[in-house]
Amino acid sequence: MKRTPHVRASAALLAAAAALTPALGQAQAAPDAPDAPVSAASVPAASGFAPTVGAVLDLGYASQALALGERDKGPHLGGAELTVESPLGPWLHGRLTAAAHSHDNKIEKHFEEVWLGTTALPAGLQLRGGRFLSQVGYLNEQHPHADDFSTRPLLYRSFLGGHYFDNGLRLNWTAPTDFYWRTGLEVFSGKQLTREAEGAPRAGVFTLSTKFGGDVGREHSWQLGLSYLGNRRAAQAHHDDEDAGMPGHGHSHEGHAHGAQLAGKHLWLVDGVWKWAPGGNNRAQQLRLAFEFARQSGLGEHAARGAASTAGYLAAVYRFHPEWEAGVRTDWLRAQLPHGDHFHAARLREYSLMLAWKPSHQQTLRLQYSQQTGAKGFDNAGKAITLQYIISLGAHGAHSF
Amino acid sequence: MLAAALPLGAAAQGQGLQVFACEPEWAALVKALAPQAQVTAATHARQDAHHIEARPALIAALRRAHLAVCTGASLEVGWLPMLQARAGNAAVRDGQPGMFYAAQQVELIDRRASVGFNDGDVHPEGNPHFHLDPARLAQVARALSQRLAQIDPPQAAAYAARHTAWQADWARGTAQWQQRAAPLKGQRVVGQHNTFAYLWHWLGVQQIADLEPKPGTPPTPSHLQSVLAQVRQAPPIAITHALYQDAQPAQWLARQLGEDKVAVLALPSTVTDDGPSADLASWMDALVTQLLKTLPAR
Repeated sequence: MKRTPHVRASAALLAAAAALTPALGQAQAAPDAPDAPVSAASVPAASGFAPTVGAVLDLGYASQALALGERDKGPHLGGAELTVESPLGPWLHGRLTAAAHSHDNKIEKHFEEVWLGTTALPAGLQLRGGRFLSQVGYLNEQHPHADDFSTRPLLYRSFLGGHYFDNGLRLNWTAPTDFYWRTGLEVFSGKQLTREAEGAPRAGVFTLSTKFGGDVGREHSWQLGLSYLGNRRAAQAHHDDEDAGMPGHGHSHEGHAHGAQLAGKHLWLVDGVWKWAPGGNNRAQQLRLAFEFARQSGLGEHAARGAASTAGYLAAVYRFHPEWEAGVRTDWLRAQLPHGDHFHAARLREYSLMLAWKPSHQQTLRLQYSQQTGAKGFDNAGKAITLQYIISLGAHGAHSF
Repeated sequence: MLAAALPLGAAAQGQGLQVFACEPEWAALVKALAPQAQVTAATHARQDAHHIEARPALIAALRRAHLAVCTGASLEVGWLPMLQARAGNAAVRDGQPGMFYAAQQVELIDRRASVGFNDGDVHPEGNPHFHLDPARLAQVARALSQRLAQIDPPQAAAYAARHTAWQADWARGTAQWQQRAAPLKGQRVVGQHNTFAYLWHWLGVQQIADLEPKPGTPPTPSHLQSVLAQVRQAPPIAITHALYQDAQPAQWLARQLGEDKVAVLALPSTVTDDGPSADLASWMDALVTQLLKTLPAR
């Protein structure tokens, strides 16, 4: 309920900007362009309002629910997304994503993205405002339906609520260098990460991140990232509740799947991706390796000095045929769980194996086996077989690296 | 001169015009029309240009570009919009002079009013592989030379002169290829995807079957069986596939039809980095030569 005004505000922002856009209503769909070749000197007018609509449906069946899991036991809605995207005049671009998924066998709905971004700032600068996915880490700014596994890594499930989106502002700068180099600053309300906080500042979360990347020869490409997320709401969170932040006990007082399970004032993330495609033809075959590590500190007033939670994963996915991919991932989490006025050390490891069939770029059928071992402080660790089917209809935006 | 005050003052001052070409054929065309430009080709002949990743190296190249030259007609829809969004380069967003779509300069074949969910990777705008038609390529060259002049006005006269020379060479080449390829008229081939449709159209070659069950879907055993049944009575002169496509389905079909009778041709669908197809003219020449070799000796 608390987020409703923000959603309304964001939607109003989008609508207001659309109304102010002079080109609004002058739809220029490229496919309807006239047959006659366009005179070369004439440049097509800047795109006005040309919305595209796309939908993604992720349906799943899980034999068990996992500790810190995202998927309910049995048949479940992994996610449903409806996205409307459009240029808004010559300088702005807007996007709205309404999403739903099942959690504790109830359907939860929210706006995941309602944002406006600039497209024409000079010097490689980009400004974005509204509600959007934070760009910390490697996976966070990607939509989960594009993931290689049916569950996000433990790192995301424990520290970032699966995927962290919030209301805020972002400023990015992409350098005009030979290699890729992007640096960005985000300021968020923080309410999507730490829901209950007393007297928290309006700008509860800020992030700083930088990414580098490039190619090595024709077959190899890489990207490295470093990010920091400062959470000023974490300090004011309701840590005194017996259950708060106790993943093993669920998070019933929150009543929502999002929001981080583990709170801390500081979160550092390192990520690295390396991809190899024989002959550079990634459509035919490709090996993808991804690694992320995160350290959360500033766990609260009762935490010992230097107390920290850490999590990481290493994933390898091999596309051995244009339509087939197999992957393996190992995840680990070493957490400090708040328990009244003290902390309990907790541990969890997770291993996942997956096989995916992608008969077209609109469909994915994935079978995954996940096993959680070495659990301490998590009483529902187990094994699960998940079957997942993803279908996308209409326009679906290009995916990032 | 006022050139330095223009947005592309940097280019005019000799730092070099930076051009991002989505496909190698456009990189080759830019090099022919603007030899001083620094050109980055985002893809190569051994890649499927429909399925490129928005890699960091490509974002960086687009970030630096004064001009981007792409096919359009949704060929790059899976990756170019992401590159534009990430690069944050105002000069190369859609609608700007710095974003040149070749498909906007020519008429495309196989346009569709609508594309159904099960139609495969077809483009409503039409077949985007029009660079395989020398006439359409010449239309693009004319428009591109004008765009280069618009982007880099101090060099306008040089671009016009280069284009005039290139156009004359290309017209001469086109006439020669057409003359040499005359025996190919009416011949039948089996293809994979509609990559070479414009070439067949120009040379009067008939593609009687497609190894792909639907556009963008790799060949399946059952589909290959039906192609075999279809062409067994009147086999084609060749089974062709692009360099980036798996050769096995074409080879299988050739074995079934009798290898000595039917050739398998791995054709470059665009210019290659080196070898006999390193520029546009030698690439066209090599395509015609490869096809002629499949004809029975007289």
